[in-house]
Amino acid sequence: MSCKHVGHLDADCFYVSCERVRFPILRRQAVGVLGNQGACVIAKSYELKAKGVKTRMPIWDDVKLCPEGIFAKRDFHWYEVISRRLLAILQQVSPQVEYYSIDEMFFESDSLPDVFKMPLPQAVKALQQRVLDELNIPVSIGVSRSKTLAKLCSDTAKPFGTRVLCDDESIQAFLPTQPVEELSGVAERSRRKLAAHGIITCADFAQAPRPWIRKLLTVKGETLWWELHGEAVQPILAQRPAHKCLGRGGSLGGATADRLRLQGWLTRNVERLVEELDFHQVLVQRLAFGLEYQQGGSWSMRARLPEDSASFDVLIFAGQELLDQAPLPGPVSHMFILADRLAPRRAVQNSFLADPVPLQKPIANLKREVNQRLGRFAIRSGQTLHLPDIYADHTQDYDICDIRGKICF
Amino acid sequence: MCAGIALYWRDLPQNLLEHYRLQTRIVRRTPEAEPEVRFMYRDTRPLLPAWFGNQLGVYTWGNQNPKSRLPKTGWVRWEVIEAGLWSRLHPEEVQIPASLGLERGVWYQIREGVRGVLVYDEQRAPHIYMLTQPADHYYRVMTRHSRMPMLLEAVSQPEFVK
Repeated sequence: MSCKHVGHLDADCFYVSCERVRFPILRRQAVGVLGNQGACVIAKSYELKAKGVKTRMPIWDDVKLCPEGIFAKRDFHWYEVISRRLLAILQQVSPQVEYYSIDEMFFESDSLPDVFKMPLPQAVKALQQRVLDELNIPVSIGVSRSKTLAKLCSDTAKPFGTRVLCDDESIQAFLPTQPVEELSGVAERSRRKLAAHGIITCADFAQAPRPWIRKLLTVKGETLWWELHGEAVQPILAQRPAHKCLGRGGSLGGATADRLRLQGWLTRNVERLVEELDFHQVLVQRLAFGLEYQQGGSWSMRARLPEDSASFDVLIFAGQELLDQAPLPGPVSHMFILADRLAPRRAVQNSFLADPVPLQKPIANLKREVNQRLGRFAIRSGQTLHLPDIYADHTQDYDICDIRGKICF
Repeated sequence: MCAGIALYWRDLPQNLLEHYRLQTRIVRRTPEAEPEVRFMYRDTRPLLPAWFGNQLGVYTWGNQNPKSRLPKTGWVRWEVIEAGLWSRLHPEEVQIPASLGLERGVWYQIREGVRGVLVYDEQRAPHIYMLTQPADHYYRVMTRHSRMPMLLEAVSQPEFVK
């Protein structure tokens, strides 16, 4: 990578901040954004956090901890609008910006002093202020010599802070203050492995022999090791690499063992998956299908499609066969459908066989065109009529996975 | 259902605050928070703000007078209105502006407001009833209540007022 400094912008309590942009009553209040079930907080303000409320905590516990808390319904359409404007601001001041997630972006920060006509630390603060002035969204920004260090800087500067660490001396002084689990990529299992060898802080990690880290944590650990030494081995990805697989699914909005309702969810997920296959102009060779049960445990199975396809009819037939084989020991809480072994459409030879159902293609095209004009799900399969509550709730129409171009889910 | 609402204080004109002496209903959740005006059904004098015609006013919320011919409640099911069971009262549609709603201890965000009906009592005094509908899954989980207010942002709204 040619740039010397990498920036990481992380919006503070992003979903709550987005709601505060359009609903001033929420400002400086304890606010939680609920998931689509209305059961758990998926994002919280610092005021709510101060009351002891944690992400994924059930609302009935949240209310006990903070009776004056306000709970809002998620709206990913709106969050995407703000997210893209945030991205646009960064693209105005940096030649390379990575849309990492809805509320996090990496960017080349060498250009900031020229743009703001001031030294880097002040320019970072000026960028933070520009975001606040233009969007009313508070962000924290870290700048350092690699993505890992930049993210560590922004994480430790929260809320509404900036941290610039560029020289060896300041980095060496900073790393011993950071527990190793603060590193993006070191989850609980890795933390335990490292702790067993006395590696507690980021400084311990950086001082460990590189080959030993690789042996313990594979190449991902080695990447972190380089990055902690200020070597930017992870490039800024201004374009998202092609998907290796595409999936749709998630919670079923209340667990169910009703086969018709499961059929409805399968159909909904396949329709959403076909949208993605169309957008990315790919065909799928293999379909994986999985269920998670309310009482715990899961089941999954894969099926090879008779031919590479992105046709709703082919995918729903394969999905239905998988669903029919799924055991139902109790209510199902989550369903996933995953298309893998993707192939670009132009690279695949058309089947020599005649289209077995000649009207399939024109009907699929009509459905796509109508939905593009009138709104998603304006025309949908009759099988989805088993989910009237889901289609009546329009916040269900758009999920975080529908926000395209992000690197991270 | 909805035991009370709160409105961002800037959404209520000053003259309305003064005319209906609503200053006592202004609450701040924390010293730093934005002020809000609360309207609770449990208030000694339950009131609701509402747009009726093109005017924003403040009206009596439901009826607590057992001698009145009006139903002694603050809410009405839209199924009841649609079935014409209140036609003798000649209900007229109103829109209740609200920023927040309260049910079973949960304060939840309301984006636009709530639908309601206005009816007159024997003395031609107007009363507002909040319209309710069966709770959707989200609302039922969040508040543990089987009914929810008819929110103004809801897409499927009945044409009940003839």
